[in-house]
Amino acid sequence: MILETVLLVFIGIAIGVFAGLIPGIHVNTTIPLIMSLSFLLPTPYYLAVLVISVAVTEMFIDYIPSIFLGAPEADTSLSVLPGHRLLLEGRGHEAIKLTILGGIGSLLVSLIFIALLANSFQYLYEVTRPYVQYLIFGVMIFMFITEKNLKKMLSSILILSMTGIFGILVLNSYLVPAQEVLFPSLTGLFGLSTLIVSIFERSSIPKQKEDSRMLISKKEIVKSLILASIAGIVVGFLPAVGISEAGTMVQYLGGSGESRSFLITISGINVANDVFSLVSLFLVGNPRSGASVAIQGILGELMFFDVVFLIGVVMLTAGVASFLTSYLGKIIPKYLEKMNYKVLTISVIIFITCLVLFLTGPFGLLIVFTSTSLGLLCSFLEIRRSHCMGILLIPSLLFFTGLNEVVFSVLGI
Amino acid sequence: MKKDFLILICFLTSVVGLILIYIAAINLEPKQIELKDVTSELVGRSVLTSGKIVYKKTHAAGHLFLTISDEDTKIQIPLFAGFMNTLKEVGLTENDFEIGLKISVSGLVDEYQGQLQIIPRRDGDIKILND
Repeated sequence: MILETVLLVFIGIAIGVFAGLIPGIHVNTTIPLIMSLSFLLPTPYYLAVLVISVAVTEMFIDYIPSIFLGAPEADTSLSVLPGHRLLLEGRGHEAIKLTILGGIGSLLVSLIFIALLANSFQYLYEVTRPYVQYLIFGVMIFMFITEKNLKKMLSSILILSMTGIFGILVLNSYLVPAQEVLFPSLTGLFGLSTLIVSIFERSSIPKQKEDSRMLISKKEIVKSLILASIAGIVVGFLPAVGISEAGTMVQYLGGSGESRSFLITISGINVANDVFSLVSLFLVGNPRSGASVAIQGILGELMFFDVVFLIGVVMLTAGVASFLTSYLGKIIPKYLEKMNYKVLTISVIIFITCLVLFLTGPFGLLIVFTSTSLGLLCSFLEIRRSHCMGILLIPSLLFFTGLNEVVFSVLGI
Repeated sequence: MKKDFLILICFLTSVVGLILIYIAAINLEPKQIELKDVTSELVGRSVLTSGKIVYKKTHAAGHLFLTISDEDTKIQIPLFAGFMNTLKEVGLTENDFEIGLKISVSGLVDEYQGQLQIIPRRDGDIKILND
């Protein structure tokens, strides 16, 4: 059993590395493909191991295309992810190392928090559930008021509203199967739009520095990890409030506005949320991520031993994946520096568009066209891209306030 | 000026995209299939199917849980309180869903505690086919 498990973990890591390096391939796209291989595996446990190892590996590797393939010029760098900023300073490998530190550190810190609070989760879950709509509304207000001036606040309301309408339409229609609809939607809002901005800006990847030491104090690291672990667990309680909203709140509330702290925090929230999602299957029987939905489907009700076993798989995978991510994060920019960035970006855009058409059909193409336009609009208005999360925030707000039926009736969908 | 133009173009393409999605959304119907063909592989997809009501249970919160069946397959149809209120507006109440009646239902296939469900959303998603 141990040998087979370790072998499957390494197979999962290989698949995760491959899928993670392809821009636009979200773990929720990979998992259904993995699930279709179930007939090859003798027991459900093996399939669960494969799913977890792929999901965890992608969580680490995903930062490579995100940081290295979305680089704009310095004057627009404030509107893109902080990893790009470090890349433009020639410190792309440091950015990757910070995300690894955030992931591994938060894995350990969040496990401690989860162990300490395990008996309270069911209570917290039941207590917070009736108030979810207020929390979602609070997050939205928070996102508006933290924009720099009135013009940007109004722009953020426009983007949140438009992406909200977009979310209501695509999430509640028969255009694309529900399990695949987020792929063209989020790819356009956050992926293709960033790549197109890069072409506009005629970016190139600057020569990367050999020195990749993490220029951040230990105090900042500890603060970022604790905040990330708490935020990652809290995200598990709040439907639709995603990693980027939590990251935005932590960035302002916790003072981690600097790129390096922010990278640790974002990566940490991601991992903590995934660990909590897995544990919440056992504690409250409610899956909170694509991977945990798959695990529930494979194993049904989880026992304590199952959770311990799966956390072991998470830790083994995270350890190996972090080494691989660091290695790839060091060698990939050396190749990218030599390539024509514009040609590379256009090739990636064409590849993703073909993938959307293949996986989600012509309606997926219409969705990605619209989501890319919305993402570009957000970028040109120079407001935070996290406002595009209106795609999930508004539909969730309607659901929890009970207004969704009224809206569906008015729209006739 | 160039940035304003780009903003305008992106705004207009976004609006056009939203309008096209809306038109497609209100005109597209789910795929019609036999009840026996509703399997866990369809979880997350929308289907249109039909079957006889073989079980009915009301919940204190206003939900109505139906089970429909053909000869071999049983699928749950949860009609949540909000949806029941929508049905009341078109003249359907829980009393109209009697055991033995054949109904057609369209909606999202889901799996809850190992049992397949079809979750209707619009008032037109559930129809009584015979009296």
